[in-house]
Amino acid sequence: MSSTVTRIRLGAVAVAASVAVLAGCSSSAPSAKTSAASCAPAKGKVTLQYWNTVPGMDKVVALWNKKNPDIQVETKNISNDQYGTLGNALKAGKAPDLAQVGYDELPNLRTQSAFVDASACSAATAAKSKFVPWTWSQTSFGNTGVFALPQDTGPMALYVRSDIFKKYGVAIPTTWDEYAAAAQKLHKADSKLDITFFDPNNAEWFNGLLWQSDSQMYGYSGGKWQVTVASQQSKQVADYWQKLISGKLVRTDLAHGSTQMYAAYQQNQIASYIGAAWGYSMFRDNLPKQAGKWTIVPMPTWGSDGASGDWGGSTVAFMKGSKHLYESVKFNTWLNTDPEALALENQLGGLYPAADAGLQLPALSKGVPYYNNEKIFDVFAASSKKINTSFAWGPTQKTVNLALQDAMAKAAAGDGTLSDALAAAQAAALKSMKDQAIPAAAGK
Amino acid sequence: MTDIATRATRVVRSPGGRRRLNGGGPRAGTIFAFVIPFFLPFVLFYLVPVGYALWQSVRVVRRTGGQYGTSYTTFGGFEQYGKVFQNDEFWSSIGRIGLFGIVQVPVMLFVALVIALLLDTPLLRLKSAFRIAAFMPYAVPGVIAAIMWSYLYSPQLSPVVDLLNDIGLKPDFLGPGAVLWSAANISTWLWTGYNMLIMFSALQSIPQELYEAAKLDGASNWAIAWRIKVPIIAPSIVLTTVFSIIGTLQLYAEPAVLRQISSNISSTFTPNMLAYAVASGNNYQQAAAISVVIAVITFVLSFGFMRLTSKRAGL
Repeated sequence: MSSTVTRIRLGAVAVAASVAVLAGCSSSAPSAKTSAASCAPAKGKVTLQYWNTVPGMDKVVALWNKKNPDIQVETKNISNDQYGTLGNALKAGKAPDLAQVGYDELPNLRTQSAFVDASACSAATAAKSKFVPWTWSQTSFGNTGVFALPQDTGPMALYVRSDIFKKYGVAIPTTWDEYAAAAQKLHKADSKLDITFFDPNNAEWFNGLLWQSDSQMYGYSGGKWQVTVASQQSKQVADYWQKLISGKLVRTDLAHGSTQMYAAYQQNQIASYIGAAWGYSMFRDNLPKQAGKWTIVPMPTWGSDGASGDWGGSTVAFMKGSKHLYESVKFNTWLNTDPEALALENQLGGLYPAADAGLQLPALSKGVPYYNNEKIFDVFAASSKKINTSFAWGPTQKTVNLALQDAMAKAAAGDGTLSDALAAAQAAALKSMKDQAIPAAAGK
Repeated sequence: MTDIATRATRVVRSPGGRRRLNGGGPRAGTIFAFVIPFFLPFVLFYLVPVGYALWQSVRVVRRTGGQYGTSYTTFGGFEQYGKVFQNDEFWSSIGRIGLFGIVQVPVMLFVALVIALLLDTPLLRLKSAFRIAAFMPYAVPGVIAAIMWSYLYSPQLSPVVDLLNDIGLKPDFLGPGAVLWSAANISTWLWTGYNMLIMFSALQSIPQELYEAAKLDGASNWAIAWRIKVPIIAPSIVLTTVFSIIGTLQLYAEPAVLRQISSNISSTFTPNMLAYAVASGNNYQQAAAISVVIAVITFVLSFGFMRLTSKRAGL
């Protein structure tokens, strides 16, 4: 299953762990200038450390280890507190050679000097052509470096309870205007029925919607980060959802991935779900009784270009301090482009590949029984190709997300609007960057 | 072993022992041996982290230029503290738990006192069963308790909410106005038994003769409870109040768990949650300053309360 869900949501363990984190703060050491990484192969046998959060990854690595006796890889699952573990290891100088990092956390870790540029290895730069375009611009930070290789993505689509739409004679929407109209019709037909839910505590999801709308949250010019979290395009999305919330046409009391959310779907109170590729197994596994009732169609669009968004997904980053860059690149390339590896990751971990080769996997071109044997992955593959490649995350994304969530929750409770929430997130972005001594200004 | 034991006994018995200990070689060694199991962890896991937090709180991050310039920390004086005092989120979280404490602590301690007094009367049967039942919630880890209650609060899953809906009440335990009190309810459920037990053990140590004398003077059970028992166990009540003040200022687990199902708990709901949110954004220095300020406020409040009540409580 996707790291996103587990990362965002719940866990007594996570709470307990965070209590522990409170006790021990760490310092950032003044680091020496990163010297250009060299890419010489090691003599003799090498052991690499690879930390990740993907279920079943140990089995994928076992396959590699069997085939490559000279480059052995050891894995460690860090899904409990992924970035806390990584951050602490970095500060202690004990980071692994390779680690799983979400796209939205890449700039943050880079400002902590967590990565090594692998572009000295020709195999790393050559991998560019093998990945869905937007993923590469994120791992290279829109430049020439190679700091990570893309692993999986979360292209978004619309999950629809076709039986409910049919029952009330509502056409499946293709644009956001149609979606709002459908929301009204469904709610009118059954006052206990809503078209979807808006989880104010899920900034990652909302960011996916912003991405789709052609918003740019950040830019860089004049030696400063340009913060445009509250841009006109973003406000358009915020105003749209504010209307649905104010009109009581969407539920706002359900946390994504919670038991409560599944219960609401189970009780036929919600007719659609705006989700990512990795979400297909959530419904299949948690709502077995609704087999055959769901269909997956492209996300409703804003304009005629049919742009889509991404929610979640991860990369495998080259971590600073690795002494075996050549071998790391070799393993990382295999892990994320080899059809056999990708098939296994998809089967065991539910990963939706970032590599083009992965999109042609047999498992991803078959019909899926739960979804009426529809070829749902064709929808996600098409979505994947329509994701804005120039979208970039900020270096303090986690703080910005928290501020956005807090303010979105207020809006959902009738205190302020989602537009205000964007303004709060914009302010938090500027403040947090200032705190980290990252030069930033409010962009247009 | 016996050697140490007899020597220790001698130390206790000899009247001038204390003074002589300072110079005594073998005796100092013995004391050291006894103290070390406490002292070493105390230094390692208490003093060192506190010192480290203090040190972090006077550091600031600076950076060499560029979009992804390298960062380093340097001495920043009270810059981080200035930011804490200017942080509206911090003060509203303090205000929130202030309100929480003013209501929750007296309610909880009153209930605990009443249960302790009931358990102490000769009227009640099955005393030990009641005592265990009242104490039981304390045995449940806080996070587990919060998860359990979050199911009872949830409109989708809770039989309690269903029942209340059926009789026409429409409770929203997770709504903006109610969620603070839902968290308070969890704390009360968790800690009442613990506080009750402290008060109850104090009651147990009151000599029975006092009651007999009071009875002879014609005091009712009611009068004995309020005029004799409560004043005598006042030090325990003060103690539990101080514990509760500290606990309130450190509130974290209950709201953090409820946050998973209610968006009406923000990431900065309590001071500790704020410190955690700031730390998760890599701003360890600011988080350290927040932690130090929370510690100082806790110290002032709990010792202030002790001073205020010490004379009356006979501490």
